[in-house]
Amino acid sequence: MQSNAALEYDYTVAKLYTYTAILFGFVGMLIGTLIAAQLAFPELNYLLGEYGTFSRLRPLHTNVVIYGFTVSGIFATFYYLAQRVLKVSMAESKFIMFMGKLQFALYLVAATAMVITELMGYTQSKEYAQMEWPLDLLIVVIWVIWGIVMFALIGIRREKALYISMWYFIACFLGVAMLYLFNNMAIPTYFAAGGVGSIMHSVSMYSGTNDALVQWWWGHNAVAFVFTVPIVGMIYYFLPKESGQAVYSYKLSLLSFWGLMFVYLWAGSHHLLWSTVPDWMQTMGSIFSVVLILPSWGSAINMLLTMKGEWNQLTENPLIKFMVLASTFYMLSTLEGPIQAIKSVNAIAHFTDWIPGHVHDGVLGWVAFMIMAGLFHMAPRMFKREIYSKSLIEAQFWLQTTAVVLYFTSMWIAGITQGMMWRAVDEYGNLMYSFIDTVTVLHPYYAIRALSGVLFLTGFVMFAYNMIKTMTSSKVLTEEPQFKSPMA
Amino acid sequence: MGIRELQGYASLFMTIVFVVALYGYIVYLYRSEKKGEKDYEKLGNIALDDEIDSKPINTSDPLPDEKKGAK
Amino acid sequence: MFHWLEKNPFFFAVGVFLVIAFAGLVEILPNFAEASRPVAGLRPYTVLELAGKEVYKKDNCIACHSQLIRPFKAETDRYGQYSLSGEYAYDRPFLWGSKRTGPDLHRVGNYRTTEWHENHMWDPTSVVPGSIMPAYKHQFTNIADIATAYAEAVTVKNAFHTPYGDDIQPGKKAFEAYKPKVLAEAKKIAAQMKNKDVKDAVAAGKIPEVVALIAYLNSLGTSRYDAKSK
Repeated sequence: MQSNAALEYDYTVAKLYTYTAILFGFVGMLIGTLIAAQLAFPELNYLLGEYGTFSRLRPLHTNVVIYGFTVSGIFATFYYLAQRVLKVSMAESKFIMFMGKLQFALYLVAATAMVITELMGYTQSKEYAQMEWPLDLLIVVIWVIWGIVMFALIGIRREKALYISMWYFIACFLGVAMLYLFNNMAIPTYFAAGGVGSIMHSVSMYSGTNDALVQWWWGHNAVAFVFTVPIVGMIYYFLPKESGQAVYSYKLSLLSFWGLMFVYLWAGSHHLLWSTVPDWMQTMGSIFSVVLILPSWGSAINMLLTMKGEWNQLTENPLIKFMVLASTFYMLSTLEGPIQAIKSVNAIAHFTDWIPGHVHDGVLGWVAFMIMAGLFHMAPRMFKREIYSKSLIEAQFWLQTTAVVLYFTSMWIAGITQGMMWRAVDEYGNLMYSFIDTVTVLHPYYAIRALSGVLFLTGFVMFAYNMIKTMTSSKVLTEEPQFKSPMA
Repeated sequence: MGIRELQGYASLFMTIVFVVALYGYIVYLYRSEKKGEKDYEKLGNIALDDEIDSKPINTSDPLPDEKKGAK
Repeated sequence: MFHWLEKNPFFFAVGVFLVIAFAGLVEILPNFAEASRPVAGLRPYTVLELAGKEVYKKDNCIACHSQLIRPFKAETDRYGQYSLSGEYAYDRPFLWGSKRTGPDLHRVGNYRTTEWHENHMWDPTSVVPGSIMPAYKHQFTNIADIATAYAEAVTVKNAFHTPYGDDIQPGKKAFEAYKPKVLAEAKKIAAQMKNKDVKDAVAAGKIPEVVALIAYLNSLGTSRYDAKSK
């Protein structure tokens, strides 16, 4: 517990991941906007030949925004805030510093390889687990290194109590590790068949219904442990720090943590309602999805109450705006999800555009907003310069909020329209619409969604520009700001 | 159906265990604060006061963890 | 106990792990034996069909097409008999999909023909006016990877006892010996097609991706276990 005046937090790795978050965020959202436009205007499928069709680009979009943008954001914020809440610097241990840099180097290799192989069509065809086995192995290494860094930092900590954000990062590490390993169990065919065929190809250890169960156990919980758990960890740090208000109820944050851990995993089978998965599992998925509202709202309400008596900050500080809106979208999304998991609602909603609509109010409104707010908060402290432009952040906020609202409203209407048309029958009990009727009717909604993509992407470019200007040419700060991030 | 039944009982049993543990935790949290052994709300300040040279904010309990606490 | 957990990050982590692993253990593992049983008489995919499944994966048809017919009248009227767990016994990976931008394909082999698929893959709007599906002309020139499909058949035969014949054996030699059978199957499909490049390629002993894909699409449905259906 010695005071060490010369010691400073070391943000080298956090900065590196900040750069990749900006880069992959732009690429992923650009592809997303393109494929959204392709659904409205199919001629756009032929820009890149074989490599430019909607179907080839769609997993690239999801993987780049998840494993490029979001995971970079998670690592950037982790390497920033873990040091601070544990009160140790990475510079104190050469080993930790080396592992952190090694992890980034391997991450960059894996992410680049992911983009190339998926563009070429190497895929396991499991959603959010498309990467083939050599990449899977590399990811395991990256993940293990992260765990080593995490527990090494915890091992030399000065603050004996682990702050709640660290709990969430530990859970993210463990949850993803377990689920990823199980879901990607596959046999490389080249070796099993005595050197015949492509070395990249593998065949899943599970078949049919089992494969579906394991896959959605993963698919659902990738959402839990990548899009929810670490993001909650972020907001528990950044909102109090930016506003200068301690978490409203620390005890509530502990309880919602355990609640979330226990309930989330059960809900995976709600992706498989009305399928060939046993009935009791479907029911279980349905019930636990509804129970899941409690811990989710526990965290979100805790966040909103943290601002109690300080709501004036909402008008004064655009970063608070981002974070408060993020927790509001989190509430919306975690209410919408359970509604879709009710069996009778699911019968209409499943397979329709309501599902991407639901996903995007979560990932755009909650995940992306929170990551961008976190990076904005970190920038003045990492680069020792004030944020380049407040008015640009304000403009970005309104542009992107409009984009998210346009996205989910258009997809709600599209999804329900489609679901109702698929089942509509005439007075004799015959189906009223051929399938193509239910596609062409969606054109205006697809066009609106493409527009919303353009708006959100524009907002992201404003974010990137603001960040780059902050790094390079903004006013230099003489001392580190305590709470509110300074901005011009 | 041996495995199905076993699975049913195991799931019921474990669910009860977890629910009891969760409620036990709530009771524990409030009781230890009431008795003055701990102050959880103080931990919220870890995020606010996070300079590397600021004094660690710990619970007010008498830290028996100097040897085993460091993992 | 709680005090101790709060002070020991390592055991705290173990606690978190147990809580999250529990759901998986109860929900998933015990069902394995039951859910992997095939329906009576189900045959595995031929090597050509497996190669077609790889094309299906490579061009990621799953982004827009499901292979899961739910037990509703509106679905069985549109696509046919609802899907049974046992029909997927040889599907590695499962290809149920999660989005129907296009129609379900689980029984497409029951009601579409080789000719229809050929026209559709070349130019979807020629058979479905208003379709937003892209054309997949590159499948008519790209050559399917039969070797990899063969390797997959060998792997699932040895690792999971999928019932393939004795002619599916590891090694390059066995593959060379098997190749003519795949080509013969491809020729039957190419004979029903009109694209000249495809016919030339097959005559020269090469199998374009579209031929393999059509073989796969034709196998979807009830024909793999019910000889009476088409």
